Amino acid sequence: MTWPLFGMDMPVVLDLFIRMNIIVILMTVMVMGLIYIERKVLARFQMRLGPTRTGPMGLLQSVADALKLVAKEDVRPTNADPWVFELAPYFVFVPIFIGFVVVPFASGLEVRVLDLGLFYLLAASSVNLVGWVMAGWGSDNRYAIIGGLRSVAQSISYELPLVLSLLAVAMVADSLNLTEIVAGQAGAPNILWQPMAFLIFFIAMIAELNRPPFDIPVGESEVVGGPFVEYSGIRWSMFFLAEYAALFIMALVGSAVFLGGWAWPFGEQLGLPWQIVLTTVKTSMMIFVVFWVRVTVPRMRIDQLMAFAWKLLLPLSFAQILVNGAVLVYELPSGLTHALLAGSGVAGVFIMMWVINRSVSRPRPRPVLIPRTDQTWEATR
Amino acid sequence: MKGILKSMSVTLSTFMRKPVTREYPETHKELPERDRAFPVLLWAEEDKEPFCTGCHACERACPVECMTVLMKDNPNHKSVGGDSSRRKIIDKFWIDYGRCMRCNICVEVCNFDAISMNNTWAGHETSVYDRADLVMDLPMLLAQSRSGELKPWVAP
Amino acid sequence: MTSMAPEQEFETQDLMINMGPQHPATHGVFRMVLQVDGEVVRDVVSHIGYMHRGGEKLSETMDFRQGIGFMDRTEYLAQFNAELSYVMAVEKLMDIEVPERSQWIRMILCELNRLSSHFMFTGAFGTDVGVFGTGFTYAFRERENILDLFEEITGDRLMYAYFRPGGLAWEVTDNFVARVREVLNVSKQGIKDMDGLLTENEIFKARTQGIGVISAADAIDWGSTGPVLRASGVPLDLRRTEPYLKYAEVDFDVPVGKVGDVYDRWLVRIEEMRQSVRIIEQCLTKLQPGPILPERMPRMLRTPPGEVYLRTEAPRGEYGIYMVSKGGNRPHRLKIRSACFANLQALRDMTIGSYVADAVVILGSLDIVLCEVDR
Repeated sequence: MTWPLFGMDMPVVLDLFIRMNIIVILMTVMVMGLIYIERKVLARFQMRLGPTRTGPMGLLQSVADALKLVAKEDVRPTNADPWVFELAPYFVFVPIFIGFVVVPFASGLEVRVLDLGLFYLLAASSVNLVGWVMAGWGSDNRYAIIGGLRSVAQSISYELPLVLSLLAVAMVADSLNLTEIVAGQAGAPNILWQPMAFLIFFIAMIAELNRPPFDIPVGESEVVGGPFVEYSGIRWSMFFLAEYAALFIMALVGSAVFLGGWAWPFGEQLGLPWQIVLTTVKTSMMIFVVFWVRVTVPRMRIDQLMAFAWKLLLPLSFAQILVNGAVLVYELPSGLTHALLAGSGVAGVFIMMWVINRSVSRPRPRPVLIPRTDQTWEATR
Repeated sequence: MKGILKSMSVTLSTFMRKPVTREYPETHKELPERDRAFPVLLWAEEDKEPFCTGCHACERACPVECMTVLMKDNPNHKSVGGDSSRRKIIDKFWIDYGRCMRCNICVEVCNFDAISMNNTWAGHETSVYDRADLVMDLPMLLAQSRSGELKPWVAP
Repeated sequence: MTSMAPEQEFETQDLMINMGPQHPATHGVFRMVLQVDGEVVRDVVSHIGYMHRGGEKLSETMDFRQGIGFMDRTEYLAQFNAELSYVMAVEKLMDIEVPERSQWIRMILCELNRLSSHFMFTGAFGTDVGVFGTGFTYAFRERENILDLFEEITGDRLMYAYFRPGGLAWEVTDNFVARVREVLNVSKQGIKDMDGLLTENEIFKARTQGIGVISAADAIDWGSTGPVLRASGVPLDLRRTEPYLKYAEVDFDVPVGKVGDVYDRWLVRIEEMRQSVRIIEQCLTKLQPGPILPERMPRMLRTPPGEVYLRTEAPRGEYGIYMVSKGGNRPHRLKIRSACFANLQALRDMTIGSYVADAVVILGSLDIVLCEVDR
């Protein structure tokens, strides 16, 4: 059995090997670049400069960090569970890595096209939760345990809205194959028909990635890094690698499923280089917004986080699926179908905003300003 | 949601503004004239000797006792054939920069305007590897004023 | 006392978490031992004293000029306010009349210091509720402006040692008024930024509203002062109730909260910053040239025997100096009434029953300076 790669036919195993290697290299470089970009962007948001010392404009900062982390001593606490502690980074890292198998960078530029691609990706990437728990439990540190357990609670809660929102969009796209979903958006990206699903996906994605405002497992000011608190050197850097790779892969999936990936909405499909540019731009936009949210919002509390997932995101995503099913099963004319889908999505977004507003902005007395009177304190008493 | 969007517009507005960072070792901020780093002794250029007569006023007034002063008879005094009007002069002077709390009291009590707070960057960048190196002796304390780098500020 | 914790339904074992003295959120070297049940705090034991340097005892060996530098070091975010209490105590003992100009300049500097201190609070509090450093950098940008001004006037960025019994150490710079106006204009934008970044933010509201509530009666019982007390609804501001310096001659409002939770403390402080700007602007118009020290100022400061308690409104509350003199040039006994120390007493009462994350936020809302607590 042979597969074509770069115009050549070659054995499946060799082809797989080459593609996977490209992915590994791409991922490492991507992560380094992302860390650099994140630091620069965050710095600009805070009116700082970010890294400037290593290389021109600090471009080599990530490389320097990586070298330093590799050279650093790998410390294991005396009372830590050796196996659990040492294996945890792999359990975080590998599931993210194998998720790259199905991600379409451009038409025909992926490791494998799987018919259940979306399903595979979600299944694979949710395994890394095990690694977080292992890290938390194995470290023999109370902050780590609290962080690990918070991580479980959070990931399980947000897995559901994430899957359901993707399911809603898969119903509209009529496929679980990522490449087909992207190709199906040649006319218009799915975000137009499923705005609420996109919003839920985006929120759940941030939560899955443990980024602010959902970074309670690693919250610096509370549990001081959570499960990572005892890790150092190369093991710690693997957590970091996984975190940023997960951000990249989630942004890619988001851009593929909702924003149309490499599909060009106006007329004919573009060539391969332009497709890559399209994917990059869309992914970058997603990532930029993630950074932007990160610098802006405070961290949520665990009970608010759970309530938000279970009481708001989950019912809304179920409702979207129900509406999608009801609309699609009757095979209405295309215009009406799309209008109903988009209308229900927009209505959902407004319901969401209304519920958040109602639950947070309770009426409460504002502080009063006591102006100067010519009375003395004794007189006012 | 509205509040979060408002917050995000604030962060976006700062994203557009110019960064305020000063890249420190390359660009030094201009120090104001009154800047107070650590105390240094001043050099009387016309007499080729320090202003300090070793009167112990600063030593007594120092709240943290970081100074040690020893005086001697001035070998350059008129009575012994020199041309200086100072009968007594500083012999040895140590200031422990590790103890000094830069309160400016030594400058205020000095009757001869012989001591001043260093208002150059050299006074701030004094990191050393050993605490003992922070104890400055007389030549070190005079060096800046002697070379003319120091423009001491006198309180109005 | 808040109680958001669910009822216990099965037997569990509480976990002790040691927060501090090296923890990013404990504002220096404060240590609290939390007894947590899951995420819910059941008990808090606070440990202080890691920063104790015996400042009060040391001050007994210092004459009145030397003591000023030590007051800076007890309260390193509101140094002018700390100095003010000390020099005013000495002035009261010696019965010195301070010239008008010195009083106005002292007021301007104290209010600027209140601004910079509250900026520091807003930044640190932002980090406590989990904003990734944005509030912190905003606040530091503004604080840096104010510190630059202080450096131009006093020569030091942090430990000014500028106030003297009777007036000031030396005259301010020639362009003082223009510079203060310039700094105020920048600060106004800074207050707007800080306010816009967090006050209306839904997540911030959710995190701060209704937690760490302390009633007016409790706050008075614990001896809280400053914004913590005012947020609980007690309109006690020493600048208003027993005006010192020239506070009786300027027009300003005292913000008083209605609920007494963390959000109210935030709002009260933000509003106090606006009022500080207002006070400074009025001071600038009333500043006249003149002497900065009284004419018949003794060269050696010697107090008659006696004792005095003098309190002023520092950014964190009532900063009082109790000074006993047996004559001579140094205090026989000095006691600092620290606002943070008293405010910190209420921590346990506020924290029990809330979540671990709230404990951090409540501690942050008290805005403690550990140097002042331990002295």
